[in-house]
Amino acid sequence: MGEAQIALAINVISILLAVAGTFFFIAGTLGLLRLPDIFTRLHALTKADNLGLGLILLALLPHAPTLLYGAKLLLLWVLVLIGGATGAHLIAKRALRGDGEDML
Amino acid sequence: MPVSASNQPTQGAHRPTLSHAISQIFTRAILFAGLWLVIAGSDPASWIIGLPTVLLAILSSLWLSSGRPRPLGLRLTALLRFLPFFAFESVRGGIDVAARVLRPKVKINPGFQRYQPRLDHPAARVLFLDSISLLPGTLSADLRDGIIEVHALDVTSDLTPELQRLERLIGRLFGEKLEEVRV
Repeated sequence: MGEAQIALAINVISILLAVAGTFFFIAGTLGLLRLPDIFTRLHALTKADNLGLGLILLALLPHAPTLLYGAKLLLLWVLVLIGGATGAHLIAKRALRGDGEDML
Repeated sequence: MPVSASNQPTQGAHRPTLSHAISQIFTRAILFAGLWLVIAGSDPASWIIGLPTVLLAILSSLWLSSGRPRPLGLRLTALLRFLPFFAFESVRGGIDVAARVLRPKVKINPGFQRYQPRLDHPAARVLFLDSISLLPGTLSADLRDGIIEVHALDVTSDLTPELQRLERLIGRLFGEKLEEVRV
């Protein structure tokens, strides 16, 4: 297999991963709009968006110019995973206890 | 499963020695400097901000972990088992929630279930709470008085086996054996 074919294969895989990632972002947004309450909406946001971001970063990974840049993409994912899951837990906790500042 | 006896800290009056303190600072310095390098890139001028940031990160990390019963030691073999599981469950979780909301009529039967975690280390508990939210159909909503309130998209099935499995994997990651206390 020549260099051009390998580059083509990488591009095709990247495009497929990015399309799949976009699909999950759309699904997450749709969930946010369609689901009935705060808890079920958090489900859609944490899971669909994390997977969506992961797939898009995976699609970008072969195109990273340096190793450090690739590591940055992975670090981004980890930080968003931690931030997303922790944020969802804190929002759910406040909603469950009903002691949030903007709760009436 | 490898069990290293030397990793078990002495109970009771455990005074940190000087060499222990130096190794704690050193590992944190390596970790945070590495993170800064990844975030800011290899431009030397970035260390004008980076060096104070790394120093502050070391200080806050030491401050936050002071008074902990034992140091955080991750088991590499357990990590290699946890990561594929985590990746696979993330994909399953994403597909599950997408499939539920893309139907003409949203397919959910939401509700709460309670789970009593047996993990001991605070970091292990945080990882457990965050991982629950990435498993298919579950969201850790509250941790109060040692009970986790788990919100489920479909409350009809019992979540306990899946949560126990996740908890065991995370327990191994932190060198905690949970098998013997299975109910």
